[in-house]
Amino acid sequence: MRIGIVCPYSFDVPGGVQNHVMDLAEALITLGHQVSVLAPADEDSPLPEYVVSAGRAVPLPYNGSVARIAFGPVSTARVRRWITNGDFDVLHVHEPLTLSLSLLAVLSARGPVVATFHTAMTRSRVLAAAQGVLQIVLERITARIAVSALARKVQVEHMDGGAVEIPNGVAVAKFADAEPLPGWPGECTPGTGGTLGFLGRFTEARKGFPVLRDAFVELAATRPDLRLLVAGPGDPDDLYDRFPAALRERVTFLGLVSEPDKARMLRSVHLYVAPNTGGESFGMILTEALAAGTTVVASDLDAFRRVLDGGRAGRLFPTGDAAGLRDALADLLDDPAGRAALSACGDQVVTNFDWPVVARRVLEVYAAAIEATDGRVIDQEWVGLG
Amino acid sequence: MPHMWWVVAASLVVGLVAAYLIWTAGRVERLHSRADLAARALDAHLLRRAAAAAVLAERRFGVELYAAARMALDAPPEEREAAENDLTRQLRTVQLDPADPDCGAVIAASRRLALSRQVHTDLVRDARSARGRPLVRLLRMGRGREWPRYFDIDDPTLTVPADVPAT
Repeated sequence: MRIGIVCPYSFDVPGGVQNHVMDLAEALITLGHQVSVLAPADEDSPLPEYVVSAGRAVPLPYNGSVARIAFGPVSTARVRRWITNGDFDVLHVHEPLTLSLSLLAVLSARGPVVATFHTAMTRSRVLAAAQGVLQIVLERITARIAVSALARKVQVEHMDGGAVEIPNGVAVAKFADAEPLPGWPGECTPGTGGTLGFLGRFTEARKGFPVLRDAFVELAATRPDLRLLVAGPGDPDDLYDRFPAALRERVTFLGLVSEPDKARMLRSVHLYVAPNTGGESFGMILTEALAAGTTVVASDLDAFRRVLDGGRAGRLFPTGDAAGLRDALADLLDDPAGRAALSACGDQVVTNFDWPVVARRVLEVYAAAIEATDGRVIDQEWVGLG
Repeated sequence: MPHMWWVVAASLVVGLVAAYLIWTAGRVERLHSRADLAARALDAHLLRRAAAAAVLAERRFGVELYAAARMALDAPPEEREAAENDLTRQLRTVQLDPADPDCGAVIAASRRLALSRQVHTDLVRDARSARGRPLVRLLRMGRGREWPRYFDIDDPTLTVPADVPAT
């Protein structure tokens, strides 16, 4: 099958959607399909061979963070040329309601169009101003995929349509086989030791780092060998200032890590902690930690509860409750058997998220979209008639 | 020549209105044919599931499942939704073993049917909402076609698939 995938965000910056698109494309190629990915990228940035650049992206503040997107007449021309040259059986766009290549592609194409909705955000503010425009965009889409139950709920309630729920995939092998960082995780001596991990922007309130900080500070007082491994964007001084001077040497900060280092980081801790206080629609990092075989302790958000199979595959604690987190951590650090039981269940859960499995479900949606439209994906003047 | 401006403005307005009407008519037409195609695809998946269930019933599980499959295959249009729901209920009462090829075929057919039903419902909704717009009704666009109909059945998904067999 010839598949065209559009990624709205630039591959120059790492991000959930970008990773999803790359992993999906690679899984589909492995299954024997021809895949072309259109994405914004700087001229000189190294790209996988299946990616076609649609030109430079401009940074725009969006949905609480900064997105780098491409939009405008030049981008439109490139999108249309790509569609014409690609001769695709199906077009798969991601986040089509952002002002981006995805939106341009949806408006330019006729034929089987599949759209994946990642965020639980209701809709773009620009589009919200014009319900009619929103309808025109949605009408061009043949089948919709939501990566989480929350994203699907938004589809049903706000966009007047259903969506097939297919979770984010995770490249299980990449995580399961990663080598831990030298010297980590060390011994988890009951009563004294253990290492905790946190990955994400520690300055962002909804990531819940302060909850983990409070729990760590309290727990470190009674456990002299407890260590904390933090990865993510941010200033080291800003991070260390958050801890009492005596504890700083027990906190290790890796900064922003690459994908392979992320896998190594997840294999380097006894417990991975996800103290998020909201704003998560899926919880990708949890599936990655499970794939790495690490025990997960997460706040009791809907999305997390689903991934962790209601608490069978990882420990849940009341959202935002530092004392609850502290008790859960102390309990699990002293209970190797309990950790092993959670991990074993996690291994089982994570097979549902393995990319080959997820990609085959996506292919079934492609088939359903192709059946409901005649012909291939063709370029079509979108402001024009008909 | 002040009259010239009126002429220019009036023809511009007429041109825009005409373009909008032609575009709307094309849109209604396109959404209708898409809904028709989706209905045909849905029909094919319903038949496939019923056939797979009949094959399975001949080998295992026996009369009741076979009867439900036959009813689904033979039901006249107005009873079809009920017959398909009966088949879904029957399939849920038996223990399907994903490792068995005949059971696997029924599970796969049900999953494909669920996708096809989802797509059909969305496309029918789009077509009906376009058809229901006041201007479209006023000008009776799409009058040569019937209103697209929903096919209202329960979600036919049997089990949450752990793995999708390679096809």
